[in-house]
Amino acid sequence: MSENILSVKNLVIHYETDEEVVEAVNNISFDLKKGEILGLVGETGAGKTTTALGIMGLLPTRVGHVIQGSIELDGENLLEKSPREMRKVRGKKISMIFQDPMTALNPVKTVGDQIAEVVLLHERCSRAEAMIRAQKMLAMVGIVPERYKDYPHQFSGGMKQRIVIAIALACEPELLIADEPTTALDVTIQAQILDMMRKLQKEHNTSMILITHDLGVVAEMCDHCAVMYAGELVEYGTVEDIFDNPQHPYTVALYKSIPSLDKDVDRLHVVPGMVTDPSNLPSGCSFSDRCDKKGDMCNKHEAPGIVDLGNGHLVKCLKYKPEVEEK
Amino acid sequence: MLKYILKRILYLIPILIGVSAIIFALKTVTPGDPARQILGNDATEEQVQEKRDELGLNDPVLVQYVNYVGGIVTRGDFGDSYRTGEPILTEILPRLLTSAKITLGAVMIGAIIGVLLGIISALKKYTWIDSVVLVISMFFQSVPEFVVALVLIMILAVKLHLLPATGITTWQGYIMPMLCIGLSAVAGYTRITRSSMLEVLGEDYIRTARAKGQSEKNITYHHALRNAMIPVAQSLGSNIGNAIGGGMVLETVFGVPGVGKYIVDAITQRNYPGVLGGALIIAIILTLINMIVDISFVLIDPRLKTTIISGGAKKMPKKMKAA
Repeated sequence: MSENILSVKNLVIHYETDEEVVEAVNNISFDLKKGEILGLVGETGAGKTTTALGIMGLLPTRVGHVIQGSIELDGENLLEKSPREMRKVRGKKISMIFQDPMTALNPVKTVGDQIAEVVLLHERCSRAEAMIRAQKMLAMVGIVPERYKDYPHQFSGGMKQRIVIAIALACEPELLIADEPTTALDVTIQAQILDMMRKLQKEHNTSMILITHDLGVVAEMCDHCAVMYAGELVEYGTVEDIFDNPQHPYTVALYKSIPSLDKDVDRLHVVPGMVTDPSNLPSGCSFSDRCDKKGDMCNKHEAPGIVDLGNGHLVKCLKYKPEVEEK
Repeated sequence: MLKYILKRILYLIPILIGVSAIIFALKTVTPGDPARQILGNDATEEQVQEKRDELGLNDPVLVQYVNYVGGIVTRGDFGDSYRTGEPILTEILPRLLTSAKITLGAVMIGAIIGVLLGIISALKKYTWIDSVVLVISMFFQSVPEFVVALVLIMILAVKLHLLPATGITTWQGYIMPMLCIGLSAVAGYTRITRSSMLEVLGEDYIRTARAKGQSEKNITYHHALRNAMIPVAQSLGSNIGNAIGGGMVLETVFGVPGVGKYIVDAITQRNYPGVLGGALIIAIILTLINMIVDISFVLIDPRLKTTIISGGAKKMPKKMKAA
């Protein structure tokens, strides 16, 4: 359980158009151990999906660029691989589950063929064997194998997401990236899908990155949690660290905005302001504009570095760099 | 499925009543006397009157119309040609076959070239190839068909002697009419294919296919193309209509004995049964073709199967939840 399966170092991703450069991911680093689940939390636009697409090598062509950094899977830098080599990695070593199951499946192909497709691509097997494998996968995600020949429109949203999961797990990947897998689903279905994902993850000892903005899901599913804000990783630690002892003002503010059953409040706490525009980041700390603990130095000093509070609980805030405050 | 087909055939009735009524109405307001036309200027007034009685032209228009429709419904009789006295149907059917060959060939030429160009320009979007394709297809759309026809005759027949200028006595005679009608349709197909291809390539399921590790080539041809063909197939039906319309002019230019030329001749000769019969038969064929095209969508888009088999398009929400 100690070996790192994925190691992202100093990753910087920009979206470049003629008009502007969007700094979507700014110098993030994190590790993922084998069999663990890392929760990637943050508001819309924080760069969670961009990070995931960067790992998959699926950034929009021409626009999305990895500026620097490395993404190592099993010690191999994915960024140095050719497109052909990356195709062998995708679907086989890393799989991804996308946000909206309604549109993630090809409407003119049977669901079974769509599962068998990934098997045929990565395993040495005949079409018939791939079909059998696909039927097994259907059964595994709780769909009767007889529905192999049905089309996506004949399934409900929750069942489509099960099929998407079946596709993602068909080749038993080492790493599964789930990008808000339950956001588009009913609350009742959400729990079912999450339960199933956790069960399958445990059975296959798959490592997983779970992207979500639902802290409840993180608490339930994850081992580690990384909080992203404006393309930066502002806090990282075990789920216990982040939940019981949040340190970054942004994480603290996120917690305050969760409705609580035992406290009677008229209004929920809101993090003031809008998500910082990643094409126009403020100098210094990118959260400074919305931070209630903002000090004099926050905008003057260059972006705060990462401080280790011990036991790998990392936080990116000047509060924890006393030497800066004293200057 | 059968219910759907029957329903579509029933739609024919109001369409045909509309078409025949309009042409019949035209007949009453156009100047000139068909009886005089048939008999020539030497005939006496009595002879002309006799002919008018024989043709039923002295009856009230409504009676004429009911007789005409009755003839079609009970006997399949579209009337006799004023010019030759032959039944319209026997005159039109062989011409129909000729026109059908040309139209079919033209639509195939147009669709194949258009779809190919559309795919190319979608895959090479915003490059010079894309622009060249756009200009070429726009050119053939903007230049009237008969101009293209005349240029083709000039080059291929008069200068190079490769193809006969007119007539369809040999198979080579079909080539130029097909090319002319086909080329004018290329632009439409190119544009529809390009835009729907670009739309489809941006869909989430294409990203899913990439996430599977599928190659770009397979993504284009196995995942994107079939989805992108849905709007192209939809335009096919109306395009056949355009091709038949274009055929009317081009059959005259190329001297092809098809339905188009027959109708044009019938109009100049005030051969009303010919005009009416030709128009009605084309209307029937177009409606049937559109029906066949609609049904063939099922082969491309499985989502429609449920709609068509259950027979109620209105009952079916876009995203059907079966489970």
